[in-house]
Amino acid sequence: MKRLISQICTIALVAGVLFICLSCKRAEAGNKVVIRISNWGGVQDDNEYERTIKALYDQFEKENPDTDVVVERVAGEYVPKMLLSFVAGAEPDIMTLDASSAAVFMNNGVLKDLSPLMEAEKDFNLDDYFPNVVDIARRGDKLFAVPIDFTPMVLYYNKKMFRDAGVPYPKPGWTWDEFRATAKSLTRGEDQYGFVFANWMPGWIMWLWNNGGDVLSPDGTRASGYLDSPQNAEAVSFLRDIINVDKSAPTLSQAESMGVDLFAQGNAAMTIVGHWAIVGYKAPGSKIRVEDLGVVELPRKVHDQSVTVIYEAGLAMSKNCKHPEEAWRLIKFLTSYRYQKAYNSTGIAICARKDIAEEHAQGELEESFLRIVPSGRVPWGAKVEGYDYVETMGVQLMDSVLKQGRDPQQALTMAAKKIDKDFARK
Amino acid sequence: MKRSRIGYLFVAPAFVHLLVFALIPILYALYLSFFKWHILKEEKPFVGMQNYVDAVTDPPFWNAMWNSLRYTLVSVPVGLLVALLVAILVNQKMRGMTIFRTIYYIPSICSGVAIAMMWIYIYLPTNGLISGTLNAIGIKNEINLLNNVATAMWALVFMSIWTGLGPRMVLFLAGLVGIPQSLYEAAQLDGANKLREFWSITLPMLAPTTMFVVITSTISAMQIFTPVYMMTKGGPEGSTDVIGYHIYTDAWQKFHIGLASSKSFLLLIAILAVSVFQYRLMKRQMEGYSAG
Repeated sequence: MKRLISQICTIALVAGVLFICLSCKRAEAGNKVVIRISNWGGVQDDNEYERTIKALYDQFEKENPDTDVVVERVAGEYVPKMLLSFVAGAEPDIMTLDASSAAVFMNNGVLKDLSPLMEAEKDFNLDDYFPNVVDIARRGDKLFAVPIDFTPMVLYYNKKMFRDAGVPYPKPGWTWDEFRATAKSLTRGEDQYGFVFANWMPGWIMWLWNNGGDVLSPDGTRASGYLDSPQNAEAVSFLRDIINVDKSAPTLSQAESMGVDLFAQGNAAMTIVGHWAIVGYKAPGSKIRVEDLGVVELPRKVHDQSVTVIYEAGLAMSKNCKHPEEAWRLIKFLTSYRYQKAYNSTGIAICARKDIAEEHAQGELEESFLRIVPSGRVPWGAKVEGYDYVETMGVQLMDSVLKQGRDPQQALTMAAKKIDKDFARK
Repeated sequence: MKRSRIGYLFVAPAFVHLLVFALIPILYALYLSFFKWHILKEEKPFVGMQNYVDAVTDPPFWNAMWNSLRYTLVSVPVGLLVALLVAILVNQKMRGMTIFRTIYYIPSICSGVAIAMMWIYIYLPTNGLISGTLNAIGIKNEINLLNNVATAMWALVFMSIWTGLGPRMVLFLAGLVGIPQSLYEAAQLDGANKLREFWSITLPMLAPTTMFVVITSTISAMQIFTPVYMMTKGGPEGSTDVIGYHIYTDAWQKFHIGLASSKSFLLLIAILAVSVFQYRLMKRQMEGYSAG
């Protein structure tokens, strides 16, 4: 009996080892070139859209019989996992690059400069893309990614609430004072707020910019003298007063406790978010009608034109890619008109190709987005490594002002010191 | 001789797993802790003990150590006590007791992330289970347990007592079952009451189990990560920034891999010291009962 058990165990062990070896081999099977492309987001549902995308990949493989495409979806913690794949020498040939965390990849020479490949190509023209979106992946004359899609942060408003309150719709070029007055006149106690503020730094950094302030020095090496500027203290005080003095926006606790998007629920008249929110506002559970949805640029303060931030996704090729020719062919395919046309049909973001973006911009809502695009700035995360930490500090400082009642100037100074101390370690 | 060779073969998979996924990475981390090791940069200069110096002179590091310590100091003894009481409770000979045992064990087989999500809803202000119930019975409140410097840590401790109940209860249950009935019979002949039996027989006989539970619970409490990552991200104002999460942010938000590695080794030393101290202390306590 004992012998039998030990034999079974031995066989199982050997089988296990063999299985592992065989499965490793499988990836390299055949004479085909395997191009691995990684993206964040994990496993997708089986729906009409995913099937369309899958069919397009199949189409590419059919047109390029020597190439196999393997799509690797990475669930959670995309940046650490990608960094480790580079360390291990197991990086994908093509990686999707998120602008807000792209710096660490672009600054450290692990990506291929795509500009020579683009120049050698007759049917590839960067003029087809929004220039400030392309600039996100630019370092001098090098370009590390081709943008796929993007969104500027914009202000959404609920037209019905404006009509009911007899308040005119906000117009491009409106000011902070007008914004504050509008938010006030749209507030009805705790049932309806004029504005809803989320303490998420990528969603509020533009307030600092519009007041002439910034987070870091232009070279991105220090926060003191920038984050703690009087302009920023003024901007933070402005937001605090809208919430705590005017009560035109719910406190952070109130907003959190409701656990829902107050704008989508029809409890707030204005919110600041990206293009992706439209999908939720159009979804069945939303209490806002699509025809009541308005989009306008953020209010301006010290500049003639308000500025906003652009968040983008692009395709980059790893420097050590063994099959750059095939990989470039795939990038070209994935940024082509026919692929992007289908890819952008969900309306989560705006296509980085002007032709499709303009085609898609039928109607006032989408047109408003395109009008805002030129005022979009490159996010800090695309320039500065470890910017995540700055954003964590940003949330903490805003929390301490809004929840603990700390003085904005003091909170900004403390955060700037912490950031500088951390940056000094680089 | 042949038999022993087969034996080595059987432990080989576990050993290889341990070697590849634990021992080698640990030694590699030790190596990294002496370098300014940027994850992608070519130059990774040797800095000697500089990372260790930086770590011990870094106030957030001590804040995180202190947070882990106060988490451990409360969650381990309270969790232990609750588990012991529940174990005694479900050790009663009653119909349907296995159902209770199963129910109390369920939290520990659930995914840590799912549990954290559930507790976020329990602690939610105004509409959460706690705050909402109080509101429903007329006590108006906006209690925001996870977002308050004074309460966030204790909210995590409370949750961990609930999550950690299962395995500790099972260990105590096994300990309780292992106590010879003859001891209780002898005590009854001597006229001891139930309380006396508990103090003089149950508790001392459970000493080895308790030691095991204390040491393993302490080690895991010092390493707590998932609930912090899911529920508070170390906030508010760093009040739940425990050492595990602190090291994680150093490595993966700020990319200071060498510094994070040195902090990991300082944590290892701290845990080792605490464990040895606990072991010594409890061994001395147990010596009187080892004859039984």
